[in-house]
Amino acid sequence: MKTIFRFLLTKILRAVAILVGVTLIVFLLIHAIDGNPWENFSSEQRLMMGIVTNTSVIDMLNHHFGLDLPLWRQFTRYFIGDFNEDGNLFCGAICGNLGPSISQHGRSVQDVIFRAPSGLTFWESRFGYSIRLVLFSSLIVIGVGLPLGIWSATKPGSVLSRTISIGLTALTSIPNFVLGLLAIIVFASWLKILKVIPDWNDPINWIIPAIVLAAMPMANFARVTRASLINILNEDYIRTARGKGLAETRIMLIHQIPNMLAPIITFLGQTFMEMFTGLLIVENLYAFPGFGRGFWEAVLKLDYPMIMGLTLIYASGILLINILTEFLCELVDPRIRLSKQQGAP
Amino acid sequence: MKLLRWKRALHNKTVWFSLIVILTFILISILTPFIAPHDPYEMSIGNSNLPPIWVQNKSPVGMQEFVLGTDQFGRDILSRLLYGTRTALFLALTAVPISALIGMLVGLITGYADRQVDAVIMFFTDIVNSLPNIMFLVILVLIFRGLLTPTWSHGLFTLVIGFAAVSWVSLARLIRISVLQLKSQLFVEAAVSIGVTPRRIITHHILPNILHLTLVWIINNIPVVILLEAVLGYIGIGVTRTVDGGEFTVVSWGGMFFSGRSALNHNPLMLIIPSLCIFLISMSFLLMGDFLNGITRQEQE
Repeated sequence: MKTIFRFLLTKILRAVAILVGVTLIVFLLIHAIDGNPWENFSSEQRLMMGIVTNTSVIDMLNHHFGLDLPLWRQFTRYFIGDFNEDGNLFCGAICGNLGPSISQHGRSVQDVIFRAPSGLTFWESRFGYSIRLVLFSSLIVIGVGLPLGIWSATKPGSVLSRTISIGLTALTSIPNFVLGLLAIIVFASWLKILKVIPDWNDPINWIIPAIVLAAMPMANFARVTRASLINILNEDYIRTARGKGLAETRIMLIHQIPNMLAPIITFLGQTFMEMFTGLLIVENLYAFPGFGRGFWEAVLKLDYPMIMGLTLIYASGILLINILTEFLCELVDPRIRLSKQQGAP
Repeated sequence: MKLLRWKRALHNKTVWFSLIVILTFILISILTPFIAPHDPYEMSIGNSNLPPIWVQNKSPVGMQEFVLGTDQFGRDILSRLLYGTRTALFLALTAVPISALIGMLVGLITGYADRQVDAVIMFFTDIVNSLPNIMFLVILVLIFRGLLTPTWSHGLFTLVIGFAAVSWVSLARLIRISVLQLKSQLFVEAAVSIGVTPRRIITHHILPNILHLTLVWIINNIPVVILLEAVLGYIGIGVTRTVDGGEFTVVSWGGMFFSGRSALNHNPLMLIIPSLCIFLISMSFLLMGDFLNGITRQEQE
């Protein structure tokens, strides 16, 4: 118990250090981009948003968002906190205050991402939508990929198994961007099933984006499951179990599945990360109201706090997944725990 | 024995399939100036938005001259596709080896050096790894775009540098692990004990054993570069760029995606063709990578 606690503590400390590094690097990089947030709107957009382009207004805006400070002060302002225009102290990113978004008229970034429009639950916020989409997709990944993998491993050489594996290879090589575009063309332009602006409260409309997001991870997952299962089937203890005359289902449940778990959990962790990256593309293709949708716009218009906020959320999600997978692997597979205690690499 | 395994490749249908696809694309990219029917930049407003040749019953009839139709500026889609192949392959064949070189160097250093150096570099790779790579790439491309003078080559150049800066991390981690494993093996220990210099150990004992990893990684990452270029093009920051009203365009599949985005409803072919090309390329490289992976694994055993 004590070792697990210490393990978690060091992991979390390391994750926090990495988060600080991520903040610093992304901050420096996005401030190295040529231009400023005010120039990147076209003149019509400026008129629509009521931004006047004379220098005094721009100076005022710069001052309001703290862009007139030296770079290191801007970083401490973002990360630790600063005095606002009224002279009151406010707390920065370490308190969870991600700063005012420039393109959202100064609404704070954590509000934009996490808070739903009034009267709705958390699940209706941008983050909630994305999480629901990822969960839906991962249900598809596990629910379809696991049975397919197990099935094609237990019956190798059959025609069906070979067709499955060819289909899986084809699926692994379709990037979600290409698949999403083709799905739009087929379902929106030709069959007219997908509406241009669908009602996202209707779960039917979620099916196509979820499948697009899940296709490649699902195929990869099935392949990994099959490979690790075939590896296990050749081990001595499975032969021993067969020799003892155990029933196939019992061998499957007691000897095969527990030994498969560690590689599968590691792979699922990676899959989650890939899906979060995929969100940035798929949500833009389908105008899905998640947190990845405004991302490209934020980058192209240099909405500094928005980019930083999204990156921080993304990075902390990845670090959390990493810690969780490592922890779960140690939990389900005693061999990993043992090798660590003995000090092997 | 080794020859036998490579000979077996000739009896493998998937290998043939992927080899033929890859060679076709390479041939196309070499022969483009001779087989492309039009200049890909040439606009003819009178012939804009033409459908492909097999559409003969709707009002803008497909013309013999433009086999796959034209885009909204009257540019021939087939020529753009052929010249785009050139761009895609150029990107893939420059960006991936550069990043493989960086990844190999860093992986060798972190794997072979002492623990402090290893810890510092691994911390840095962890930072890069916890950023979404496509976002990192976009930011790098935007930075380089401000720094470089806009000529025809700079869009390609930024993408090459950006990709190299982003993707070496996965290879470095891969190689670090395998160097750590190799270091504890008997032949390295023996080499150390007879006083071989570290440089010679790396070049003569460790490098040959990680080359196959690098090769498989390169083959798996070539379609990734082509895809990333397409995604960036779709968003609008590929190798396309507007400077002072005039457009500097390198013809690429990403640019085709960008112009096809507005033609989604009346001419979806503009998106379907480059999508299918990307699909074919990534499938053939993936199959190739799988096969090579299998061979090298057998050789190790």
